[in-house]
Amino acid sequence: MDKLAESRWITLLRHTVLLLFAAISIYPVLTVVTISLRPGNQLQSTDLSIIPENWSFASYSQLIYEEPFLRWLGNSLLVSLLVTLTGVAMAAIGGYALSRFKFIGRQTTMLAILTTQMFPATMLLLPLYILIAKLHLVNTFFGLMIFYVSTALPFCIWQMKGFYDTIPTSLEEAARIDGCSQMSAFTRVILPLAAPGLVITALFSFMTAWSEYIVAAQVLQESDLFTLPLGIKNFQASMSTQWGLYAAASILVSLPVVIVFLVLSKYLVSGMTLGAVKE
Amino acid sequence: MANAPFKLSRAGRRSRFFVHAKCSLLLAMLGSLSGCQQQDDRKVLTLWHQMVPAERVILNERIAKFEDENPQYRIRALYKETEELRSGFQAAALAGIGPELIYGPSDVLGAFHTMGIVQDMSVLAPALDPADFVDDSLTYLPSHDNPKQLALLQIPDRLGNHLALVYNRNLIASPPTTTDELIELGVKNTLDENKDGRNESYGLVWNFVEPFFAIPFLTGYGAWVFDDSGDPVPALDTPECVAAYELILSLQDKYGIVPRNCDYETADSLFKSGKAAMIINGDWSWADYLNTEGIDAVVAPLPIVSATGLPMAPMVSPKGYSLNAYATPESAAAAMKFVTFATSESAQRELMQKLKILPSRKALHDDPLLTTDPTLLASKQQFANGRMMPVDTELRAVWDAMRPHYQALLGGSVSPQEAAQSMQKDALRAIQLMNRKTDKETAVWAWQLAGILICGALVVWQRKSLLDFLPDFRRQPFAYLLIAPALATIFLTIVFPFFYNLMLSLSDMSLTNFQDWKIIGLANYLEVFSEAKFFTILFKTLIWTVVNVFFHVAIGVMLAIAINGPIRGKAIYRIFLIIPWAVPAYITALTWRSMFHYDYGAINLLASSWPINLVTTNSWFVEFFGSPPFNWLGEPGPAFAACIVANVWLGYPFMMVIALGGLQGIPHELYEAARIDGANRLQQFRNVTLPLLKPVLAPAITLGAIWTFNNLNVVWLVSNGGEPSDQTHILVSYVYKAVFNLYRYGYGAALSMVIFAMLLVTSLVSLHRSKATENVYG
Repeated sequence: MDKLAESRWITLLRHTVLLLFAAISIYPVLTVVTISLRPGNQLQSTDLSIIPENWSFASYSQLIYEEPFLRWLGNSLLVSLLVTLTGVAMAAIGGYALSRFKFIGRQTTMLAILTTQMFPATMLLLPLYILIAKLHLVNTFFGLMIFYVSTALPFCIWQMKGFYDTIPTSLEEAARIDGCSQMSAFTRVILPLAAPGLVITALFSFMTAWSEYIVAAQVLQESDLFTLPLGIKNFQASMSTQWGLYAAASILVSLPVVIVFLVLSKYLVSGMTLGAVKE
Repeated sequence: MANAPFKLSRAGRRSRFFVHAKCSLLLAMLGSLSGCQQQDDRKVLTLWHQMVPAERVILNERIAKFEDENPQYRIRALYKETEELRSGFQAAALAGIGPELIYGPSDVLGAFHTMGIVQDMSVLAPALDPADFVDDSLTYLPSHDNPKQLALLQIPDRLGNHLALVYNRNLIASPPTTTDELIELGVKNTLDENKDGRNESYGLVWNFVEPFFAIPFLTGYGAWVFDDSGDPVPALDTPECVAAYELILSLQDKYGIVPRNCDYETADSLFKSGKAAMIINGDWSWADYLNTEGIDAVVAPLPIVSATGLPMAPMVSPKGYSLNAYATPESAAAAMKFVTFATSESAQRELMQKLKILPSRKALHDDPLLTTDPTLLASKQQFANGRMMPVDTELRAVWDAMRPHYQALLGGSVSPQEAAQSMQKDALRAIQLMNRKTDKETAVWAWQLAGILICGALVVWQRKSLLDFLPDFRRQPFAYLLIAPALATIFLTIVFPFFYNLMLSLSDMSLTNFQDWKIIGLANYLEVFSEAKFFTILFKTLIWTVVNVFFHVAIGVMLAIAINGPIRGKAIYRIFLIIPWAVPAYITALTWRSMFHYDYGAINLLASSWPINLVTTNSWFVEFFGSPPFNWLGEPGPAFAACIVANVWLGYPFMMVIALGGLQGIPHELYEAARIDGANRLQQFRNVTLPLLKPVLAPAITLGAIWTFNNLNVVWLVSNGGEPSDQTHILVSYVYKAVFNLYRYGYGAALSMVIFAMLLVTSLVSLHRSKATENVYG
């Protein structure tokens, strides 16, 4: 580890930058916490203290015991995890094809995937309703999944392709010489090395499904099937939002994301070394 | 080499992880499929409503009672926010899957009727006697088939939506009866107790920036949004209007009893915390105030304008149920059964008693409760001198035209006369745009032919690839099989919407041609490019995109590099830094909005506190930026900057995670080699880190730019829909406004296609130059 040791100044600089941005990152969220603890349903306040006067967890307990929050949480977890698994699987193999094979229409495919992200979502409202009606996707998680996977995939595929691109092809060639099939060279050698990419792809797919609202509002017409963003919208109205519940729910919604990130960030470290090529 | 066994064990864990993942995927799939099927033979009726929570409780009780009495039906009530209900219902009804019933105020019915998505209820409710209802509370409009006949479009269960004065009896003994008294009481209660030049409490607050709340002032001077011709012709440029604006302006500038930039939430918070003596707010909010601890809220009618002797009259409107035009006769009959049940006398009495809501049935207006309950009494008095909100679609154009100039007026950049003139001009123009009818019909076959020709040209151009496809597929089917599932999923959902929009962009779909639209050619595209506004907004959008993406990437990469070294507390830092991404943007964007608040926002308080005030009071800083507090949200430039700051905050964690992932792929040996060659840290960064981060960051940057270009939410939430004065729009929020406020679907679709084309060309050029689709090692 000695060769990695850095001067104190560099370490201090790292901590300064990180502390500053950690503070910037959490301050606005602390305000959300404040709103969730404040009695009396206000968005704003004239005092800046983090813990408000007469604070209470009333919003949280109301959310969990009186609102169907846990049901929404379950629905959201189910949908998001399914989307994550499908998305990661499709992106892992799709990205590999784009990175390693020179097939006809490869460039066009890459671009075509990208173009799907260029259309302003505003105008999709109308055709999406028609599509949902025609394909009988109303009130199905399957319908929701198709939309989420296809929303998340373009980025995921590009991202995975980018990661595979940083892995030297000589690794697979070596594996093939050692007697691996093309498939097992991919799953045994390349995939583990692309772990950081898989983590990012997974996190992104999860977030896409976790926070999506517009499509969910079109597909789900049954409050028992609501996902969290849809459920939380119940507390929001143009001039009579239940700020306490809205803020408390937003805080609780972000916890699973942090947990997923914690679990996944273990894999953000890969053992990539150039030495691998020489072996 | 020392850590080789460790690596192996990790790979083993990984493969187990994948086996687990596959199993749980299958299990969960089975679970979700069976979980979705509900066994229930009851006929389901869907109702979209916009009731506040207290009202929802009563609605649900009512529904349960109805289902008890009619076991063959199930009512599925879904809450939708006002705007969402409107836009969602339009789209859903067009697709034929909308709810059977919608519930809300009557003002949207004009548009729904013009679009033909609500149906006449009079034939379905023969037992309904219009004489039982308060005059004008049932909404009738001329039928499409026979203009002499009136179609019943809404049956109300309540009246209201009106503004009144709520005062805090702890601060004011009795409510003002004239505006002079209002000002006097206001001045008395506007206090700067600690003499820091900033008021701690205000005499009067209300949603100052929204023109709906200015209506009582207009009516108090005898003005109204439409002239008295009976047709919906805007009358916004009258001496009465100007006088009303002068009064409003004087409350802010001359008497200083109203805080600057007071939006709905600020007003609400100030009043609830006892920092405002009076608030002007609608009947939806009163119950909340009456129940707020620490204040003694009382509802009173709005005062009389001293200069004219006229009472300030708010807009009033009935709220009730309307029936989807596409409801089948069977479900329409069932829906009517429920409507009759929910608007009955007993239902309305319950609403009146529990929620202090004015009933729409005449019989209930003699109820003793209406004279004994002070809130209901004040509500009734206020309602009596209110003016019915027009159901004409033109009202929407009027709001749209009023808002920017009204806000400019309050910001002090235009005079009342100028504001009134511009409002009138814009309202006339918006109405003309909204109601425009095109008789011109282009031959559809010409467009079909053009489509075929374009496809043909593409085939000829790409003939070589097409011919090579089969042999190539035989040579390496593996490659095609790997990409096929992803492609199929992506294009399943996008192909239809894309071509649908392409068609709309060539059509005249609008309010008046909502269902019978036809292809009219390139007119919409010409209109897009002929508007000077397009280019200004495009320019703003470009700045928005470039600045945002630059800071996302710069901060993200910086943080990733900072955290990727040998330091303690990595895990904690990582969690803190990811938080802006984890917490839903719809609430943090609003938090940022309040942080930019003029009086109470953290940013302004921070700017004038130590040690930052050492910079902000410096003479060069003051010369460049002025001295704090800054009016962030009240002026176009700072408001746009505020949106950017909020969006940068939302976006850097994502780039950090990607950069962090990318850094893992860079072998340490490369740094060692660079060090041996004598490269310093900066050179290492430029020659090792950046080139190897590129393939990983390129997709994120390309897509990040596209997403930022099309990011509606943050701009919309932070600037509250383009405030001030519609100066904080980017192209997508402009599309959103055009489509959903003025129903210009064809125009919106054309603008979307233009956005699409611009992004496509830009990406083509930049990808070609950066070669991001190429392999670094390849």
